[in-house]
Amino acid sequence: MDSGRFFERGGPMIRYSDLEYLKLSKGKRFGYKIASFFASIPTALKNGLLAIWRFLGTVFRGIGSEIKDLVNTFKEGDLPTRVSYLVMGFGNLCRGQILRGLLFLLFEAVFILYMVTAGGYWLGMLPSLGLQGPTKELDPILDVFVTTYHDNSFKILLYGVLTIFFIIAFIYTWRLNIRQNKLAMQILKSGKKLKSGKDDLRSLVDDQFHKTLLALPLTGIIIFTVLPIVFMILVAFTNYDGTHDGFNNNLFTWVGWQNFNTMLSWQGSGGQSYAATFGEILSWTLIWAFFATFTNYFLGMMVAMLINKRGIRLKKLWRTILVVTIAIPQFISLLYVSKMFAKNGILNGFLLSMGWIQQALPFWEDPTWARITVIVINIWIGIPYLMLITTGILMNIPADLYESSRIDGANAWQQYTKITLPYMLFVTGPYLLTSFTSNMNNFNVIYLLTGGAPTNPAASSAAGTVGYTDLLITWLFKITMGAESQYYLASVVGILVFIVVAVISLVVYGAMPSIKNEEDFQ
Amino acid sequence: MAEVKLTNVKKIYDKNVVAVHDFNLTIHDKEFVVFVGPSGCGKSTTLRMIAGLEDISEGTLEIDGEVVNDLQPKDRDIAMVFQNYALYPHMTVFDNIAFSLRLKKMPEDEVYERVTRAAEILGITDYLLRKPRALSGGQRQRVAIGRAIVRDPKVFLMDEPLSNLDAKLRNQMRAEIILLRQKMNTTFVYVTHDQTEAMTLGDRIVIMQNGYIEQVGTPGEVFDRPRNLFVAGFIGSPQMNFFNAHLTRTGEEYTVEVHGHTVPLTDERAELLKKHGASTANVILGVRPEHLTICAENDPNSIDGEILVNEMMGSELHLHVRCGNDQNIILRVPTIDLSAEKRASLVAGNHIRFTFASKVAQVFDPATEKSLLWD
Amino acid sequence: MSESKTAASSLKRHMGIQASRRIGNTAAYIVLVLISVIWLIPFVCILLQSFRVESTWQVGYVIPQQWGLDNYRNLMNTDFPKWYLNTLIMALVTAVLQTIIVLCMSYTLSRFRFKGRKFLMRFMLILGMFPGMLTMIILYRVLKDLGMTQANAVPGLILVYIASSGMGYYVSKGFFDTIPKSLDEAARIDGATRFQILKKIILPLSKPIVIYTVLTAFMGPWGDYVFARYVSFGTSAGMNVAVGMYNWLNKDQISSYYTMFCAGGVLVAIPVTALFLWLQKYYVEGVTGGAVKG
Repeated sequence: MDSGRFFERGGPMIRYSDLEYLKLSKGKRFGYKIASFFASIPTALKNGLLAIWRFLGTVFRGIGSEIKDLVNTFKEGDLPTRVSYLVMGFGNLCRGQILRGLLFLLFEAVFILYMVTAGGYWLGMLPSLGLQGPTKELDPILDVFVTTYHDNSFKILLYGVLTIFFIIAFIYTWRLNIRQNKLAMQILKSGKKLKSGKDDLRSLVDDQFHKTLLALPLTGIIIFTVLPIVFMILVAFTNYDGTHDGFNNNLFTWVGWQNFNTMLSWQGSGGQSYAATFGEILSWTLIWAFFATFTNYFLGMMVAMLINKRGIRLKKLWRTILVVTIAIPQFISLLYVSKMFAKNGILNGFLLSMGWIQQALPFWEDPTWARITVIVINIWIGIPYLMLITTGILMNIPADLYESSRIDGANAWQQYTKITLPYMLFVTGPYLLTSFTSNMNNFNVIYLLTGGAPTNPAASSAAGTVGYTDLLITWLFKITMGAESQYYLASVVGILVFIVVAVISLVVYGAMPSIKNEEDFQ
Repeated sequence: MAEVKLTNVKKIYDKNVVAVHDFNLTIHDKEFVVFVGPSGCGKSTTLRMIAGLEDISEGTLEIDGEVVNDLQPKDRDIAMVFQNYALYPHMTVFDNIAFSLRLKKMPEDEVYERVTRAAEILGITDYLLRKPRALSGGQRQRVAIGRAIVRDPKVFLMDEPLSNLDAKLRNQMRAEIILLRQKMNTTFVYVTHDQTEAMTLGDRIVIMQNGYIEQVGTPGEVFDRPRNLFVAGFIGSPQMNFFNAHLTRTGEEYTVEVHGHTVPLTDERAELLKKHGASTANVILGVRPEHLTICAENDPNSIDGEILVNEMMGSELHLHVRCGNDQNIILRVPTIDLSAEKRASLVAGNHIRFTFASKVAQVFDPATEKSLLWD
Repeated sequence: MSESKTAASSLKRHMGIQASRRIGNTAAYIVLVLISVIWLIPFVCILLQSFRVESTWQVGYVIPQQWGLDNYRNLMNTDFPKWYLNTLIMALVTAVLQTIIVLCMSYTLSRFRFKGRKFLMRFMLILGMFPGMLTMIILYRVLKDLGMTQANAVPGLILVYIASSGMGYYVSKGFFDTIPKSLDEAARIDGATRFQILKKIILPLSKPIVIYTVLTAFMGPWGDYVFARYVSFGTSAGMNVAVGMYNWLNKDQISSYYTMFCAGGVLVAIPVTALFLWLQKYYVEGVTGGAVKG
């Protein structure tokens, strides 16, 4: 127990030494732990801020030393090095590294060409997102209205961001080009030979193989994930929606923090405020994620233990029956199950015909019923998967732990709470966290089962229809697919989802023991 | 065929952790050099730098006169045997041994020729078509060695190759490595934490601690004339006994006094001490357990000790003894000379008297921990 | 006397253990059978209802009164074959390309120590916290400009599926981490380049994880709804099975398409499930190994 040491700067609370702690009663220990946790929060916050401060410090110091190095390299450099400040790759070409030199030169040429022909325009338009929207004029000859298109806000924003990415890449490459000159001068000075183009190519399948391997995946991630995310973050500060689509209708433009104010303000314009709706959906999302994660976890573990139980035969069969259900695409099973639970579905039909109920049960009609039903059906979806995961880990628990605990006189329940569960929680801690956050964003289960229904009339006026089982993520989807396509609102919701997920992850990560030993696995 | 020369070699990990400080050593052609030391002393890191598996932070490494700092392992013409064998599990023994030759695009019949020859030397011809999984520890070890010798490398590197074997097999493999060395006739660098292996295998031993070389020398040298307390304690088993003692110089003569027992040092020792410039001072006296001898109980010119533990090893007894504030002094007493009566008296709680042969005594400076018998 | 008494009591206790274990096992079997029934019943229902001829809407019973293949025959007259083909093509191409990308990424992160590696992993972790759906809005517009939406949704969707798949490296990196580094080192000393190490040492040892990656990549497109819905927006020719069949269960279509949905479901589920059962061993290995690594 290291709480005594851990919360050293924990403020005014009484601290116990390890031996004093051991003398405390159970209740007192628990209280002490909780008190220590809260006492540690200021320190943790302080440390977090300090870390950010230190990070900023390193960044600025880094930039400073880069500039110093640039100046020094220029001062001490020979002619090719100095020319390289303007003509990239010149130094390489002079020193016989033709391939590298040409690549640098080509990159510079492409960059300049792009900036002159297109990049300049996109960058210049970025602050305004376009000056002139589409205009309609009567064509005197044909006697119809003809639309002339001018600026396109969407493209300006997209290519503007892309141009900024490109400029950053250029600065990095330019810096690389200077650094290579410096290195080349050092190598030549020490009497060694420079790498030839052939050496460079060969090293791409050997000591530089990681660059080759990462090139494709990272390009994909940058273009298809990073760029869109940056774009969508920016959209949250515009009025981009169905009527301001930036091209066919009106241009869209920057609106500052207005959308965040709308989303987080308690004043509703005709009906419930956005903040209230957001709060309602967020709280249900968290409740859902909690139950979806832990019901699956514990029930899945139980099923795994049941199958693992000594003396149970046909273990493989039981496992396979469950595992098969993973294979069937979710849209089939979920849509079908959703219809099974419908008012005129099989389940109600069966119950009615048996005479066990007089009226169809309102599985999807009543808010509480619907919420419970999605959680229950999610158990059905999740258990096979959890059963697999926990089976693997359960078998890894050293058998001598159980043997020694039996000699110490533990019964089955004590073995479970004192050995199995702590072990499982330790090993699956990170998994539980990711599973919690992915449940928060579990679009499929909710959308395919209920589509968010039943409708919540109070919340719905704010941004389209909102249902009692809607998660933030399905709400986001509905906003973009709704009649007004309020993309800016969807962006705001998306950013808020990110913040919630990030905060939860950070807090839980800090508290988890298995994270600290992450490198042990490597 | 090759000389390996390390000049001011350093290994610095990020965050300024220095694993190897300023390593200087020339390994001669066809020499068998053993790096030995406790875990974390930098011996493996040094070997891996020679292999090219770790970058050399500072200094130069030459193999056969050529600086190889920036060469990939494959271009250094070395072979290496790993502690956990590192056999490719999905390949047969034959394919394992042939792997490097095939990468060199050697014709298949020559590959066959070489692999079978290597297998014959190591006695693994019967297992050539098995996968590593189906082999015992000793057989795997042989395959790992086979994989290395088949290439006929300039330098042969071995990283604790015997530490995964049980004691009996280890002794056997140690002998085989000596035989192999005679057949191979090439440069060997061998890393171990086991001083017995170091003593039996090495032409020269490099003893390391905390990233520094403590001493380089032949097995005889490091055993007879350790440079400092660490080497003295590390080489030899059970380890050397250390007494708090007082050295007295009178002209050309030196005497040492331990727990009231005064012994004159031999001329040879006195010569060395004089060369060092040692004068009267408190010192640490080091005597190996086999050099302590039991005297008669009434012999006044001896050291008194209380027996704490008596370990019967078969051909000899190990007596753990306390003399004043020197705890855990060990005596190795051959059982062959002991009378039954005497033996019965050597039990915990009884006192014995013993003395030591001054011609093998080591003298250390308590402050610097260096030997006073070296310059 | 007392001896026989203790013997009797120990016998009794012994029998008690056996009896209680037998009771426990019986209870366990009952629960297991119950679980199996609950898990399989929806699929049995789908299968049975797909053969129902007498009506096409939802009814309160399961076993058809009239059996026939009408629903399957009718499927052929809808766009279902087109959707099926779309999905199959996407699944096959994605399985190949995604596997390559994921393996490149995870091998690199497991085996190389380069500057920025930690940063890269942390960066991807943070990226993963953004709802992926958000990016769809812009990707749709971009793909539309490239002419890869609606009827041409298949290449567009493939691009979307594989482009960011590098972020799903966790499981296979965890596997690669378990292959001892000394194998790489031995191979490097034996004269192999990094590429040869990957080809000749790592990949042959990674069969389970390669198959796992292929399998999950293949199964992905069959179940995707969101992205497929976006990209194929409103054009039947570009839909995958999930989007196409989802519309059949709309309020206004369900009465005529419900049993066809069941038939379509069976046709989709059979090949995927068969493949899955065949490769089940590797899937289980991947899941269990991956979760422990976190």
